[in-house]
This record gives sequence, C-alpha cells and structure tokens, in this order.
Amino acid sequence: MPRSVATSSRRALVLVVLGLGVLVMTVVSLMLGSNLLGVGTVLTGLFDPSQDVGSVVWGSRVPRTVLGLFVGFCLGIAGAVMQGQTRNPLADPGIFGVSAGASLAVVIGVYVLGTSSITTTLWLALAGAAVASVVVFGVAALGRGLSSPVPLAIAGTAVSALLIALTSYLVLSDETTLAAYRIWVVGSLSGRTLDGVDAALLFAVAGLVFAAANIRSLNNLALGTELAHGLGENLLRARLVGLAAITLLTASAVAITGPIGFIGLTAPHIGRSLVGGDHYWLLPASGLIGASLLLACDVIGRLIGGNAEVSVGVVLTVLGGIVFIAIVRRGRIAAL
Amino acid sequence: MKNLAVVRRTALVLAPLIALMGLAGCSSTADAGTSDGGADSAGAWSYTDDAGTTVTLDHEPERVASYSDYAIGLMSYGIDPVAVFGRADVATDARFADYDLSDTAIVGNSYGEIDLEALAETAPDLIVTGIYPTDREGTLDTEGAYYGVADVEQQAQLEKIAPVVAIEVGGAGSDVIDSMNRLASSLGVSDDTIAAAKTDFDAAAADLTAAAGESGLEVTQLYADADGVYVVKPADEPETELYRSLGVDFTDLNPDGYYYWDIYSWENAAQMMTGDVLLINVQGYGEADLLAQPTFASHPALQAGQAYAWDGAALDYASQAAHMKELADILRESKKL
Repeated sequence: MPRSVATSSRRALVLVVLGLGVLVMTVVSLMLGSNLLGVGTVLTGLFDPSQDVGSVVWGSRVPRTVLGLFVGFCLGIAGAVMQGQTRNPLADPGIFGVSAGASLAVVIGVYVLGTSSITTTLWLALAGAAVASVVVFGVAALGRGLSSPVPLAIAGTAVSALLIALTSYLVLSDETTLAAYRIWVVGSLSGRTLDGVDAALLFAVAGLVFAAANIRSLNNLALGTELAHGLGENLLRARLVGLAAITLLTASAVAITGPIGFIGLTAPHIGRSLVGGDHYWLLPASGLIGASLLLACDVIGRLIGGNAEVSVGVVLTVLGGIVFIAIVRRGRIAAL
Repeated sequence: MKNLAVVRRTALVLAPLIALMGLAGCSSTADAGTSDGGADSAGAWSYTDDAGTTVTLDHEPERVASYSDYAIGLMSYGIDPVAVFGRADVATDARFADYDLSDTAIVGNSYGEIDLEALAETAPDLIVTGIYPTDREGTLDTEGAYYGVADVEQQAQLEKIAPVVAIEVGGAGSDVIDSMNRLASSLGVSDDTIAAAKTDFDAAAADLTAAAGESGLEVTQLYADADGVYVVKPADEPETELYRSLGVDFTDLNPDGYYYWDIYSWENAAQMMTGDVLLINVQGYGEADLLAQPTFASHPALQAGQAYAWDGAALDYASQAAHMKELADILRESKKL
C-alpha cells in the first residue's frame, strides 16, 4: 500500500513523541508515589539498592513501573488488533473469552491444587486464556462464521458467560478459593512483583510477532470482509493469526496483574485519532499510548489516596471513561 | 465481577464521606435495647431490636431463621434455627463444626443471595439479621438494608415471610454479646443457661488478661491485599474493643480519622510495623504473600514467625470464649521483639 511521504513522516513523528511520552511517564512513575520520597532519595535508592530504605524503590516503584509499561503496551496492541478484527469500536480483549478463561483457570488452580503462587497462576492464566480462545474460535469456525466478526463475538460472549458461571460456582463453594480469586481479579499494579515476568515476556513477544504478521490482514479487513476476500485475503488465516496475537498479549498481561480494563478499549481510539486507521502505525501507537496511559493512571491513583492509594482500575474507569466520551463526541469512531 | 471489585474499592474510598453525610443527616441514634422483650402472661411476645424496631407476635417465636453470624450464638444456647443464610458456604463453615445443622435448612451461601422460597417453606416466626453502624459514633442507617440482606427490596420480601430483627454489631464487644443474650433470653433461653455460658466466657477472659499481662506484646490485626495493608482500629471493631478492654495491647497508630481501619499502601507499610504479633485476616494475603512483598517482608513479627491467620468470631459467649483461648495461646507462644 503506497503511503505519501508527508503523512508517513508526520506519523513517524507522532510515534517518536509517543515514545518520548512513555519515557517521561517512566521517570514520573519512578519518582512519584504514596510515600513522598525526594528525587535524591529515589535516585540514591535506584543506583544503590543497599541505600533503598524499606525497599520502596526496588520493591515497589521499579516493579510497578515495569509492569505498567509491559501490561499497558500489551493491552494497547491487543485492543487495536481486537477492534480491527471485529471492526467493533467497543471490542475489548475480554470479548474472546480470554479474561474469563484466565480467571477460571486461576480459580481451578486454587480449588484443585490449593496453590496461588505467582508462577503457577501465570501458567494457569495463560493456559486458561488459550483454551478459551481456541474454544471460541472453534465454535465460530464450526458455524463457518469466520467471514463476519459477529459469530466470533457472539461465541466469545457465550463462552465467557459459561466460564464466568463456572468460576462463580467454584468461588462460591469454597471460601479459600473466593479469597484467592478476589485478590487476583482486582487488576492492579500495586503489590505485584516481577516474579514470572520473564515467562510472560516470552508469550508477549510471540503475541507481538503474530500482531505484526496480522497488520496487512487487519488493513484489508477494515475494507470489509467481502473486499478483503476479493483482495486475496485468507480469512481463516487472518482470524487465526489475529486471535493468537490477542490471546498471547492479553493473557501474558492479565496473568501478572489480573484483568485491567479500559486500556484495550481506549488506547486504540486515541491512537486512531493521532495516526489514523492504518494498522502499520496504529499498533505501535496503541501500545505506546497504552503504556503511558496505564502508568499515568497508576501515578494519579498513588497520589490521591493519602497513606493509601486508589486502585489503578478505579482511576482508569473514571479517566478512561471521560477520555472515551470525549473521543466519541469528536466522532473519530467513524474512522473504523 | 471486575466491576464488583471496583465498586468495593470505590465504596472503601467513599465510606468516610458517606459516614460524614450520615453524621450530618442523622443525629438520632435509636434508643433501643431498653426492653428485655419476651412473652407476657397471655403468651403474646414482644421484642425491641437494636435498630429500634418493636416486633409483637401472639406467641413466643419457636421457628427462628437467622443469618449465620447470629445463628451460631443462638445454637450455643440450644436454639436450632429452622433456616440459616450466610456470607459463604454454610455447610463447610468451620464455625458450625460443633453444631448439628441436619435439621436446619440452608437457604443462602453467598452474601445477599437468599432463597426466599426455601426460606418461606421453613415457615419462620422470626428472622434474625444484623446492623453495623456507619461511623464511630454508632449511627445506624435504619433506612438501608440490614447486614446479611442484599438490599431494601429483599428485606421487604423477608418481612413478608416473618418479622425481621437486627443485632447491632458495633461499639463495645460486650454490648454486642449482651444484645445476643437479650435476644436469646426473649426466645426462652433460661438465665441459668446464659449464666453458665458467662462462667466459661469469664474464665477465658481472665486467662486472656493474664496472657496479655505476662507477654506485654503489641498485636496488629490486619487485612492485606494488592492495595496494601489495612490496619484495624481496635476501638472500632467490637471484638478488638473487647480484647483491648481485657488488656490486649493492639496497634493503634491513628485512633481518629477514618472509621474502622487505616490503609497503608505497600510503599507506606513501614509506618505500621510496630507490632510483635500479626493477626492476618484470612480473606486477604496470607503469610507467604506478605513475605513476598518486598516492602513488608522485613516486618519483625513476620521474620520471627509470629504471624497468624485470623478471622473474627461470632459475638456470643461460647464463640468468644473459644476465640479468646486461641488468642491467649498465641500470646503465650510469641515473644517480645
């Protein structure tokens, strides 16, 4: 697809600015928190962990910053792929049953194995997410419904409902499971450690590869499935690659921090208003925006709670909602 | 379910605000508990509950349905409820381990989910629930739903089945126990039975006082999750209030301010590390999770292995006697740090 040099360089500039934004947010996230350390104290602790009093810098700021960058980036891109695949501006990575599958697997882990260790949870969440999306995909494919995104979304919603019901059943029948589940299901960057992030990173990189491989198909699908088919697009392959990207990216994010909403929904919309609908630019833009947005909301939550903090999920719901309404009001959604 | 969690968090943040509003809007604390209730010579029965509601029946209630927390107290006095509804699965609730539930219908295993048809089938004469104050001053929101009930609509449904009374769970722990006893007494439990339970309770209380005095330990009661550490304010929780009145030294860094507990983010956890013993609420992070928190792992009590899974017990003589024994044992096996 030919791109005019002028728009390309403008878009490249936007990406550079977004990248700088991520850098700025990273520094801000390291510097600010509910424990009001001075810049000097943070820098000393950062460069000399033995001077890191109470492990605040290395025990809290660093992990939540790394996780914010990682999870925000993954969810932003997963959201963009999701919205491109379904051509539904309200699609969120949860639609394919990924979050519900991960939740059920985590709950089964606690219920059956009695474990809630971070690495076990990670693997269970990944497995659950993968199984759920394969089932959703299988159900939609059985009905030969791959040409339109609607059967996929319906299958996803139905399978999600089933998985949520099973989760509720297990959770309500055992209080230990309920406690473990409640802790996990609140998507949060606080109180999480970097344990297991290396494994999640592997899955995320695989997801990124699939997402990159899906870019041309996403651009074709944006023209409508008929036209995409006419352009020689293999729908089955396009859907499969997209689904793999969404599952891997979402699952690796969700496994570590628990489900975090709104990033996957909002980041692609902001991205589209900045770089347009071409997924070649939209995917990286959504990822960078997702990372900045998640860190920004987390920092806000740290600062408005006094000795406590307001969970990033609450801040996201409030701020994300406002941003979303603004976007809808400006009518950019039509760009899908 | 995510939303539920978010609502819970939001509620937590808003709670002080709502409490303030409640304080401004409602200064009349119900003057309940003056009448002992019970049946008169004609057999008619009357009881005024802690929310100020007077229930009058033409006979003493024989078939009582109850929320699990209060069912335990009733059962300790030999009143077997015809129906029980709980916050979690009642059949596996350890608090009922010593009691026989085979003749009791379990009509709810999740907070606010009550099988109204099954409840109605047991034909209760009276339904027992609770009410928690919304602030430190003991303001009761008598317009809202009682504890154990989902909302006012569900409460209206319950009231169609049988009159609903509430035990106030707030303020002094001994007041809550007294309220439980007052209800039991009105339901026909003899003074001797209550006095016998009190003897055991008093013995356990004296032993707890002795253990607290010998050990001189500071006890921190907390709940923890991803957001941080929630330290219970001993004056605001009836159980800790009771134990403190018996001599247990609870961490109380900020008695004013927010009601019920102070929240310390993980970054600020160091501010609350004064305790020698940690009582960790079973519904949140456990000992292993706390050890995995880099900003909390250094807590001296955690390092010394003086961290215990802990849950509030029902506020009746029997449950509290057992619970105080547990705490006394913990105090005796722990050392000053």
